[in-house]
Formats: sequence, structure tokens, C-alpha cells
Amino acid sequence: MDRLSLYLDPQIRDWVLFPITLVMILVGILRHYVVILLQSQPKKLSRAATREQRALTRSQVLQATSSNSPIPPSFYKAISQNLSEAYKAGTYLKDGPPNADTQSSAPNPLSDPAAMDGMMAGMKTQMVMMVPQMVIMGWINFFFQGFVLIKLPFPLTLGFKSMLQRGIDTPDMDVRWVSSLSWYFLNFFGLNGLYRLILGGDNAADSSRDMTTSPFAAMGNAQPGQPQDFNKLFKAERDNLEFAEGLHNWVGENMDTKILRKYGKLAAL
Amino acid sequence: MSLQSALERLATYRANNTRASQDIFRNGLLVLQKSSFKKLGDDGWTSLEQLALASIDVGRLDIADQCLQLIADKFPNSPRVDCLIGIRMEATEPPETALKYYADILEADSANVAIWKRRISVLRRTGKVEKAVNELVQFLDTFYTDVEGWLELADIYASCNQYDHSFQALSHVLLLTPQNPFYVLQAAETAYTSDDFSLAIKMFLTVVDMTDADDSEQLLQESTPLGITVRAWFGVKLCTRRIAQNANLKSLSNTSAPKNLELLDELATERLRVAYSSSGQKGEIAKGRQEVFTWVATPLA
Repeated sequence: MDRLSLYLDPQIRDWVLFPITLVMILVGILRHYVVILLQSQPKKLSRAATREQRALTRSQVLQATSSNSPIPPSFYKAISQNLSEAYKAGTYLKDGPPNADTQSSAPNPLSDPAAMDGMMAGMKTQMVMMVPQMVIMGWINFFFQGFVLIKLPFPLTLGFKSMLQRGIDTPDMDVRWVSSLSWYFLNFFGLNGLYRLILGGDNAADSSRDMTTSPFAAMGNAQPGQPQDFNKLFKAERDNLEFAEGLHNWVGENMDTKILRKYGKLAAL
Repeated sequence: MSLQSALERLATYRANNTRASQDIFRNGLLVLQKSSFKKLGDDGWTSLEQLALASIDVGRLDIADQCLQLIADKFPNSPRVDCLIGIRMEATEPPETALKYYADILEADSANVAIWKRRISVLRRTGKVEKAVNELVQFLDTFYTDVEGWLELADIYASCNQYDHSFQALSHVLLLTPQNPFYVLQAAETAYTSDDFSLAIKMFLTVVDMTDADDSEQLLQESTPLGITVRAWFGVKLCTRRIAQNANLKSLSNTSAPKNLELLDELATERLRVAYSSSGQKGEIAKGRQEVFTWVATPLA
């Protein structure tokens, strides 16, 4: 294009474009360290809670090998039935066996202090993310509203206009010009790669990722310290145990004939 | 010996979990004297911990204290350091002091695996076997997947001649690590000791099945049994004799007696002869060959 439609003052580059980028990078790094600072130590589980949480692995271990079990049937049955009884009676529950008359209901996450802790941690990170971004956006909007900051070195179709020229309502300006607000958004979503370079892969600086998660989303997936109705899980596990018991087959059961065949003492089947 | 090779040796010992304390101590001391543990980053601290344990093991407590000081300065309030301090305490202090120390930690953090296990080991060492068993059972009730704990329980029971209980503990070990033939062998020997021969012979045969060289028939008959396979064949041979001697032996676990007892005996005899016939590396005859040959040659009943 021979006619230059716009001429950008180099001062805009030095005093607007670079500062915005720099501030966003620095805020991201700062945020990373603040999040690390805010992270509370994972709460130590008590003995009873650990036991409750791990009780299900017993039945899983037992079931994993049941169709090719290393232990003979009588021992398997004893273990399996003991476990089943314990699940039924609620021996593994943290607070002891439940009373018969109290209806078991899903515990309310808001009344459990452990769950509240998890939610508060989520909120805190959320705040650390939201506040600086809001401040930066306000700053840009207030001081640099309507600024054109940079010209992309490649042509783009008209569809990108709303993405690159947010805050400037000119119908016929070339799409290659990028407005200040759009530059902010480009940085907002695009700096993650840079953070990963500076802070390593597991950083907390990227704010666009947090946009998608809400502090309440953590409640859906099972987190440690998350209230789960173990009583119900245990009851359900009993069926699995029974099923696995039906499948039980000891490896050693016919080992005598198997070995004899293997060494050619008995004719192969 | 260069620093590099010393560090490499330490890393190998760590990876294989070898208790070669004397060698670890020698190599570790070299690194410590050049005071380069700190420069090594995370790996260096693990080596330092390793050196501390090794020097307690060989009785050089001065070095151990030096290591502990370095580690404790770097990681205050670490549960892993707490455990090291406890081990150091066990080395010189009376067991009551160590028990008290462990009890205090457990009170604050009741699910601290390392400390709990140390406590159990001290209890056993000081002869409070009953208490140790109680604690260990409670520990395993909480941390079911701890194979070491189950093995320890089996060992304690076996040392008290309670082989049935020992076998029960071992059956949990088998459930957790069904791929390890050594544990199957241990279970088989425990079953044999508790006079459950039908169970024992099947487990010995399982060991054979797990460890013999190859699955193709041709190779098997020519191959020489090695290592624990030989031991398993000895077990099979012992079992066939015992079963043949008293025909109506009862099996506590209701395991059916093996069929083709004579064939099994014949096979075990043959395998053991093969194991002791092959010439060793220098072509010498296997040690005790004559004794084994006369032993296996004695008829079944």
C-alpha cells in the first residue's frame, strides 16, 4: 500500500505499548508469587479420616486379582466377607457406625469447615486474579481509550475488526491497526507461553485460565477434604465384593496338573 | 575416587534401596568433606539423608549429627527430618525416650506413617511384642497397602510360632503384590511349617510356575532350575513325602490334596538332580551334590 493512512508517534510505542505489556507481565509474575504465598498448607488428616478414605482400596485390591487370585479360596472368602461385614456395619466410618434412626443425608458443604476451607482458597486465588486485571483494564480505559498502538505486519480480513479495534468506532480503518483495549486482551490471553518460559510449567500467573473456573466449581469434583457420603459408597461396594467373590479362582488350584503338563509328565490336553 | 563417581554410587544405592552402609558412609563422607552437598540441589539433600542413616548404621554418630544439623537447618519442621531425629535418638537414648518422642509427634499428627512405623519397630525391639502387634494391626487397618507392614506382621507372628496368623498376614501381602514370587515362596514355607502340606505344595508349585525359565516345553526340560526355583522344588519334594507318609492329613484351609503325587515326586527328584548336576562356572561339581542325590533317592514312603 503506497499511501500511508496513519502515522504513529513513536512516543506512543515507548510510553503506551511497552508499558502496558510490561505491566501485564509483571502483574502476572507478582500474581504467581502471591498465590504461592496465599496457599495454605494442605490440612493433615486424622487417623480416622485417613482410614475412612482408604477403606475402599481394600476392596479394590481384593477385586483386582480375584479372577486369578494368589490366595486360596478359604482365605479369600474370609477376607472378603469380613470386609463386606465391616462395610455394612460402617466400621470404617470416621465417626463410627451410624445410628439407625438418623437419616443419612448428603452433608451440606457449607456447614463443613473442611469444605469451607477449600472454597475459601479458591475464592482467594480468584480475587488475586480479578482485582489486578480490573485495575489494569480501568487504567487502560481511563488513560489510553481510543489509542491506536501498533500495526500488525500482516493483512487481516474484516472479521478481525471487532477483535483488534475494540474501543474505536471507525468503520473504514484498516484492520491491521490494533487499539489499546484490544492489545490488553491480546496480552491477557497470549502471555501464558511467556509465563511458562519464565516461571516454569506449573505457574499460577495465567489469568485467562481462571476465568473459566469459579470457586464453586471445585465442589463438583471430589477433592480431598470434600464431603463424601462414605457410608453410601461402602454399601455400594458390597455388591462389587460379592460379585468378585463369585469370580474368585485360585491360581494354585490346579497347579499340580498344570506343572506336570508343563514338564511333559502328563499328556497335554 | 572422584566426587562424580562417589555421587553416582550413592545414587545407585539409593535407587536400589541397598543397605551398604559402610560403602555409603565412605562415599558420602568424601562428598561431605568437600562440602558440596548444598550445591547439588534436591539430589544433594537426599544423599545427605542417606549418609546420615548410613553413619548411624556404622556407628559414626559424629558424622550423623553433622548431617542432621545441615538438614535440620535447611528444612525446619519437616516430618521427614523428625523421623531422622527419632532414628538418631534410638541410636543412643534409651528406648523410652524415643517412644516418648514418637508419641508426642503422633499426638499432633496421628496419621504420620514414618513415625508410626518407627514406633512399632521400637516396641518390637524392646520386647513389647504384644503391644507392637496391636499397633501394627491398627496401622495396617489404616494403611492397608503397606506391604512392608504386612511382612513385618507375618514375621512377628512367625517368631511367636503362630504360623496360621503369619500365613493370613502373608495372604494380604500376596494380594498386594501378586507378581512377586519371593512372597509366594515365603507363604508356601509358612504353610509347610503349619503342617498344611496340600496348600504348601500348591504354593511351591506356583513359585515354580512363576520362576522357571521359559514357557516352551522343549526348553523347560533341558533348562536348569536356578535360584528360588530350586528352593521351591525342594519344598515340593518335602511336601510329597509328608503327604505320602500320612495319607489322611487334614488341611486347615480345606485345600484338596494334589493328584498324581508319585509323578510330582518324580518330577521334583528329577529337577533337583538336574539342578545339582550342572557344572558351575568353573566346571566344578555343585557343593553338597552327593548329599542331595542320596536324599532325593530315598523312596516316597
